[in-house]
Amino acid sequence: MIKSIENNSTNNLEKSFWLIKEGSCYWSLGFFKILKKKVDNENMNFQYFLDNYLKKEDRSVFINNYYGFLNNDISFTQVIKIKNKNDKYREFTAKTINKLDENANELIKAICFKKKKIKTVKKVSSDLFYYQETLEMTGTGSWYVDFLKQKSYWDSQARQILEYPENYIPSVSKSINYYASEHQELAMKLFTECGMSGKAFDNEIKMLTANHKKIWVRAIGKPVYNKKQEIIGLRGVFQNIDEAKTKELTLKKTSEVIASQNSRLFNFAHIVSHNLRSHTSNLSLVLELIDNVESNQEKFELFESIREISKSLNTTIDHLNEVVTIQTRTYNNKVQTHFNDTLDIIKTSIGHILKETNSTIISNFDELKYIDYIPAYLESILLNLITNSIKYKHPERNTIITIKSYIEDDNNYLTISDNGIGLDMEKFGDKLFGMYKTFHRNSDAVGIGLFITKNQIESLNGQIFVESKVNTGTTFKIKF
Amino acid sequence: MQLPNIELACIIDDDGIYVNLVKKIIETKKLCKNLLIFNNGKESIEYFEALLQNLSADKIPEIIFLDLNMPIMDGWEFLKRFTKIKNRFNKQITLYIVSSSINPIDIDRAKSLSTVKDYLIKPVNIKELVNIFKRSA
Repeated sequence: MIKSIENNSTNNLEKSFWLIKEGSCYWSLGFFKILKKKVDNENMNFQYFLDNYLKKEDRSVFINNYYGFLNNDISFTQVIKIKNKNDKYREFTAKTINKLDENANELIKAICFKKKKIKTVKKVSSDLFYYQETLEMTGTGSWYVDFLKQKSYWDSQARQILEYPENYIPSVSKSINYYASEHQELAMKLFTECGMSGKAFDNEIKMLTANHKKIWVRAIGKPVYNKKQEIIGLRGVFQNIDEAKTKELTLKKTSEVIASQNSRLFNFAHIVSHNLRSHTSNLSLVLELIDNVESNQEKFELFESIREISKSLNTTIDHLNEVVTIQTRTYNNKVQTHFNDTLDIIKTSIGHILKETNSTIISNFDELKYIDYIPAYLESILLNLITNSIKYKHPERNTIITIKSYIEDDNNYLTISDNGIGLDMEKFGDKLFGMYKTFHRNSDAVGIGLFITKNQIESLNGQIFVESKVNTGTTFKIKF
Repeated sequence: MQLPNIELACIIDDDGIYVNLVKKIIETKKLCKNLLIFNNGKESIEYFEALLQNLSADKIPEIIFLDLNMPIMDGWEFLKRFTKIKNRFNKQITLYIVSSSINPIDIDRAKSLSTVKDYLIKPVNIKELVNIFKRSA
């Protein structure tokens, strides 16, 4: 079978290869040929190859690559030096092949050897120079964790990326602290899995520098094996991708903002068309009717309808105007706005309503006292949500409104909860923030407040969520 | 002008101005004897559901004009509940949707329902309204 593979594989693969199959090995004829050596498959095994063919300096890396490939299917390409007939070392590229040909058994793994075409004449020191340069230019630092010695090693780039001094010795036991708190669990998982089962990783993760700065790095790691195929450590690189990642995240956010603006614009066009249509259609109906009635008295009465239509048309235009104003406001108006101050203004302005309805407001802004915001918006948002809670109070109990600001995952939040009549979210959830949508029997429900609130929040890149339960209450959650 | 053949018509719409105008047309053209008016779907469905308890033919409208965009309960929700009970009235009830929505999604959805006879886009004109009453009579 091996023969057939050798013959079949001539088309697309190098003839010089090494088959590894369930513990046994086979070196192709081509392998010996390019070394100008006699075919010697009897003596050849992994250890023999290491001892008699491979140059000593390439051994440890090759052993590691070999076991990574054998046990965990980690492909590799390595330039190695192999001794030829004249006991001279020649450079070869050893490259893993996962499939020799279509008929090949899946269990067969192979490494092929190809003569390196351009012979490198550079000295090791110049190699090292380019290697260092590459690391520096790509912002890549390498690291190694030695399980046996219980030690960690970082190269100078790794230290530079993480802002540690040149003589800093990384800690093994406290290594989790090199990661941002929100990603510590992920880091733990990656390193544990790699160390226990040899699973290599390549992840974008947030690390913490010596100066407590959070930076995005691409962390790549893989296990290090000894000859007995036991994992004795992990090695890999950290690449500083903070700039690119930050740009990516900003771009993502920008695209989300544009999408939301677009949808608001579409919504607005729909509202304009619908709301104006109802007035114009009434207008044409009234005119038609005037043409159709006989007496002047009746005609005159119909003029009263035109007055009404004009009035409601004006109201609609006012509402639309209010919405347009939100869309065109700029960020320049953002200032440090304290929740407590804003709430005080509201409490003063609607104090009599709170008193009359026996409503209580409990607030807690300890965790997050202020945000950068347009003060008029925050006031309008809070006022709308508070009056909303009072409007839809439960008939059997006094209204208690709980307002709380906090920080979660670097984002600012505000929640406003009440114990009111609540809403059937399944029925109304998606319509709640629509214009002129009211779901209750209250006659003063106009259906503009929540629409305005949502628009104000979204125009400053925030989001509003709602949770509600009939007869229990409603909670609005704002992400600023 | 001939006497109206339709006894009772029903308008379900939250736009007061529109309702008054249609009322005026019906009176002027003597299109039916009596008119039922509801401001939203909830009021009207409650009327129809209560009617089932005590069926009296003169309280069941022959024609319903239903708006779609209404507070509290919109036209769609009304249609869902009305369709469940419409066959228990022992009387032919013709339902038209009258809406200012020109959204093709709304129109297609409405026309696909067997309960809906037709979809009229506001403004309805007088001739159209007269024809509908004549056809249903």
